Amino acid sequence: MAGAAVRGGWTGPPPLAYDRRVMKVSFFETGRYASPRTLPPEWPMPPGAYDREAGAQAYQRMIQRIEYVEEIGFDWVSVSEHHYSARILTPAPIVSASFIAARVQKIKIALLGPIVPYSNPVRVAEELAMLDTLAQGRLVVGLLRGTSNESLTYDLNPQEARERTDEGMELILRAWTEPQPFGWQGRHFRYRTVSIWPRPLQQPHPPTYALGTSRESCEFAARHRLGCGVSYGSFEAVGRATRYYREQCARHGWQPAPEQIIYRANMLLADTDEEAQELLRRQPDQAPFTMRAGVREALMKLDARNIAGQARSPIVTGALPTTFIGSPDTVVEQVRRCREEVGAGVLDLSLQMPGASDPDCLMRSLELFGRKVLPRIRDI
Amino acid sequence: MAPAFSEGHVEADGFRIRYMEAGEGTPLVHFHGAGGLRLTPAHDLLRRRFRVVAFEMPGFGASPDNTRTRSMPELASTMATAATQLGLARFNLMGTSFGAKTALWLALQAPERVLALVLEAPAAIRPEGGEPPSGSPEEMARRLHAHPERLAPIPAPDPAIRAKTAPLVLRLRGPNRDPDLESRLPGLSTQTLVLFGTVDGVIPPEMGRVYKELMPNCHLVLVYDAAHAISSDRPEAFAEVVEDFLERHEAFIISRAETVIHP
Repeated sequence: MAGAAVRGGWTGPPPLAYDRRVMKVSFFETGRYASPRTLPPEWPMPPGAYDREAGAQAYQRMIQRIEYVEEIGFDWVSVSEHHYSARILTPAPIVSASFIAARVQKIKIALLGPIVPYSNPVRVAEELAMLDTLAQGRLVVGLLRGTSNESLTYDLNPQEARERTDEGMELILRAWTEPQPFGWQGRHFRYRTVSIWPRPLQQPHPPTYALGTSRESCEFAARHRLGCGVSYGSFEAVGRATRYYREQCARHGWQPAPEQIIYRANMLLADTDEEAQELLRRQPDQAPFTMRAGVREALMKLDARNIAGQARSPIVTGALPTTFIGSPDTVVEQVRRCREEVGAGVLDLSLQMPGASDPDCLMRSLELFGRKVLPRIRDI
Repeated sequence: MAPAFSEGHVEADGFRIRYMEAGEGTPLVHFHGAGGLRLTPAHDLLRRRFRVVAFEMPGFGASPDNTRTRSMPELASTMATAATQLGLARFNLMGTSFGAKTALWLALQAPERVLALVLEAPAAIRPEGGEPPSGSPEEMARRLHAHPERLAPIPAPDPAIRAKTAPLVLRLRGPNRDPDLESRLPGLSTQTLVLFGTVDGVIPPEMGRVYKELMPNCHLVLVYDAAHAISSDRPEAFAEVVEDFLERHEAFIISRAETVIHP
């Protein structure tokens, strides 16, 4: 089995074949929901505030948008998992990813990703293997712990989330690669029989990333020869994480390809820098998931987060930063700096913040990006 | 550690064989790994359900140098005699690493005596090419233990003991792939549980699947975050699945975990 990293000093895993020269671009699809009414700025949002027509339209436009994104030449389209909110309307990313995969032909489907700690890891392995096969090997996978609020979705003890994530990720990898039925005697998961069908089409498994800036996530990725995905922070902040990740890879005797580092970020693109700044002023200026004060404060104490070992607040209290902003010239220069400081070979972009609900504006940005930016950043 | 265990000695094939025993119920005989006999918290958990008899095989520990035993089948035969001397006609049999191969040979020689087999990180089948890892005591401790805080690694072995056991292990362990053993495994219908730790630094856990491919009634269980010394790293996880398997054999895959929160 080529994929199973054999330990104990007997043999090493196979070398990875990645194109080292090309910057890849991914479109972060959030199922833009344009609410006909003002929504309460609180997480969870009451389901009664949901508008079915607006929901149906959001998904319809999602497909149109992705067809366009593919036409422009994006390499990937990514989806994520968030719950109980209009901001990102993909609580079951396996469903959106499958639907998207059936509607577009060439673009890779990046499921970034199932929130592992409250998933059934065996089920996740099965679904992803099935999707990889249905999509003819176009699947990319990111596994993660999830944002703080998500532990409230299915009543997960936030203090157990880190350990469950590590164990769940390891079980997913093992379920993909082990050719014999096996039992799993874990700390948080126990299965007497794991034996998945189908297996992934890509061998040993789809390109897989551990997503997050934490020391634990970077170390897991390095140990298992996975990619690393970071998001939203400044180049300086996420650069600390990717540097730590590369150091850990070196410690495990390998060097990641640029394509093994994803940076997810907000981008606001306009014809001029001034117009881009004006767009920024019109973006919603609120925290992604606003919880009641008592809940937020309690979670702050229970949930520990870090960037490469340095503590950070577990909850974002303001709007997420926009690290690419300006005219095409300005943005191309920012991408160049990002490549140097973060080392990312994949940019996973929201061209407009998730939660902003002006789909036409987003389409204009995409058009401009395809014409004026994409052709110029390939070789960065 | 495990004060409930008492020491005894038994004669077999001219060897005086030491053993540690505790508990009541169906006998569970244990053969240790190349490092010699060491009781772990798992022994203590298992003796609550079984009559645990952990042997020290001749030539290991403080026993006299063993230059007589020429092969693993011969060692297995001696150990079967030792069990007979203790009045153990039929028993569950557990082998760790090196001792797993002894256990397999005993089961092949006397299948009617073995109720079920448990192989903890068995070293009977090893990757072709290359040698089992070796290194400083510190490095070997890291390969053996992922959680030294649970049970500290054995201190560096006494050079006198090492000089005695190293040639014995080399002589008895056989080749990485042993056709003499492997050609017989498809005919061994004993219910068998093979356990590997996911971070085993001595034998790659991927070897587990080979037992499953060869043996008709083999079950493979991976113990998460345990290294080669599974029963030291995660004794509760180890003992739980071993006990369940010895009690229910292949039906152990049916869950009995209750999920009712309130009636």
